[in-house]
Amino acid sequence: MRRYKTSYPISWRFMDVLEAAFALVLPRGGGRLTPYLLLTPAVLLVGTLAVGLLYIGDSSLRVLDRSTFLFSDYWTLENYQRAFSESFTATIIWRSLVGAVIVTAVTLLLAFPYAYVMVRTSSALLRKFLLVALFLPFFIGQVVRAYGWLIILGNQGIVNDALALVGVEPLRLLFNYPAVLFGLVQYMLPFGVLMLAPALTAIPEDIEAAATSLGANWVRALFHVVLPMARPGLIGAGVVVLTLSLTDFAMPAILGGGSQDFVANAIYDQFFRTSDQGFGASLTLILIAVGSMTVGLIFAVFGAGTLALGANRK
Amino acid sequence: MNFERKLNRRSLLKASAAVGATGLASVSMPSVLRAAEPDKPSELIIRAWGGPWVEALKNGVSDPFTEKTGIRIIHDLTEDNEIQPKVWAAVAQNRTPPIHINWDTTTNATKSALRGVCEDLSDLSNLSGTTDLAKPVGVDGYPIVNTYGYVYVLAYRPEAFPDGPPKSYHDLLDPKFKGRIAFYNDGIGFHFPAQVAGGGALEDIPGNMDACWEFVEKIKAQNPLLGEDPDFVTWFQRGEIDAACTISTNALGAKRSGVDIAWTVPEEGAKFDTDGLWIPKGHSESDLYWAREYINSALTQANQQVWLDGLGLPGVVPGLTPPEGLAGDPSYPTKPEDFERLIRISGQIQVENESEWFSKFKQIMQG
Repeated sequence: MRRYKTSYPISWRFMDVLEAAFALVLPRGGGRLTPYLLLTPAVLLVGTLAVGLLYIGDSSLRVLDRSTFLFSDYWTLENYQRAFSESFTATIIWRSLVGAVIVTAVTLLLAFPYAYVMVRTSSALLRKFLLVALFLPFFIGQVVRAYGWLIILGNQGIVNDALALVGVEPLRLLFNYPAVLFGLVQYMLPFGVLMLAPALTAIPEDIEAAATSLGANWVRALFHVVLPMARPGLIGAGVVVLTLSLTDFAMPAILGGGSQDFVANAIYDQFFRTSDQGFGASLTLILIAVGSMTVGLIFAVFGAGTLALGANRK
Repeated sequence: MNFERKLNRRSLLKASAAVGATGLASVSMPSVLRAAEPDKPSELIIRAWGGPWVEALKNGVSDPFTEKTGIRIIHDLTEDNEIQPKVWAAVAQNRTPPIHINWDTTTNATKSALRGVCEDLSDLSNLSGTTDLAKPVGVDGYPIVNTYGYVYVLAYRPEAFPDGPPKSYHDLLDPKFKGRIAFYNDGIGFHFPAQVAGGGALEDIPGNMDACWEFVEKIKAQNPLLGEDPDFVTWFQRGEIDAACTISTNALGAKRSGVDIAWTVPEEGAKFDTDGLWIPKGHSESDLYWAREYINSALTQANQQVWLDGLGLPGVVPGLTPPEGLAGDPSYPTKPEDFERLIRISGQIQVENESEWFSKFKQIMQG
């Protein structure tokens, strides 16, 4: 029988070598440790984050003495009292949260058809084009993209130049809340599509065909078959986009014109502008709490979606 | 309260004489110094602002220093605010700080001085030839050496003010400037003139700044843009704004790039502040020696002339020639009467209160 090159792929050989090396390192019967060893990277990652959070928690309980610029050697809730008493804190939390929800909704609305066409199209050329268009922005950083919008939407930008051709006076398209949300949606769209595409790929085309053959038009098939089956992907994409938007710094800083700060901008100001790391740390923990509670609420109402990784998906 | 509405500068003649003496001394000193010179490091790292700022420092101070000593100068362009926690952490942990010298705003540097992370620079030989401006206000000795002053001017596009320069910040309340004026996003440079514009007294700072906040509320209704140094130049270049409260260097930068722009000190006055150089603690004796020599060289008349020509700012050494077009300019104060309309508040008062001022300004502007 002819032996094909692919009958024992090189990746399997590589795994054999790894397995042999593993057997050398671990004593006989140590296989029971394997799952725990595989967990090590995750434990290290989460552990590092946890230690960082402990430090931030500690900082948040120390108040800055502005005559020495040293932090108190005792714990106090003063930073939290200040955060909850200043109306500015509520303003930026509300602005960040509402912004994140709007960005998530609009992103999912745009990402779904994009991902659907990318997954379902029979044209290889179109699929490649959509993939390239999806990945291209990843090679351009968020800050560069934001500056790109400054050029396009500025008073002397391309859009206003085009409007001038039809006699419209220059419009202030930048440095306001909609501009920040617009920039965020453009930034988040690839994340949304990437999270949705696997969920849509997992829906067999036959099911859609079955719905159509049973008399459903494409709208009914979409709402009664595709969307419910894509829900895990929508939830996963929604959570990722929501958390990234909630904690974003660059878009509010660049497209907001200094008047549309999110919580991350206020944290930056405290850490680096007023040197009050204690107050900055308290805002950090408040942001983490707001984000965690929001995600927890989503999980409680809708389930964890694709983020459940196969277990307990609703 | 340590308030200095009228800046009291040392007599120019006295300082000029001192500069002359120092200059002579520095010419004849090297052979004496060389005997006591510690080993030279291969390089010194100076934190600096980018663009025209670092170019000016390079031409005026760093290149001459390298030429004289052979020590390479590396300019670290990390923002002053962002290097600060790294330096503080290094000093607290007895590590070598990431930079040898910090080119910093005096207000920011004062925080480091109050925290005790700055080396004392009181015995720099060239300090004797400087004006009072070199001395930081509100701290003991010279943990920082101020190297020049700057004014937060009211910059404007003459085209937008056909009847002449704006005389007051109240002129910006004209509805035609809605969305066409700009300030720093934390209000820096504007708090003190706003206190006057709102009918308050500078002597009430920091105790009672209600007048300031009332005027900021009025300005907010004009929907101003809020940004940082590079934004002002960009906004003027792109025609986004007609007027801004900004450091004169930014206005000069926009003008040098071809934008039709002018600036003035309005009747409320303008904030005058300084930048300086300081050395974080934790360096070896030899590195410290050469870092001090670098700062000392930044205080010579020749180096100040080149450095500050690039920035268009008045230095701390008497006898400097103003750059072309800046003689007698309100952004280039040199004589005591030039300072009469400038507002200078001690660094200590600023660092103790700026967090509240910034928060209040943002609360109003973003509320």
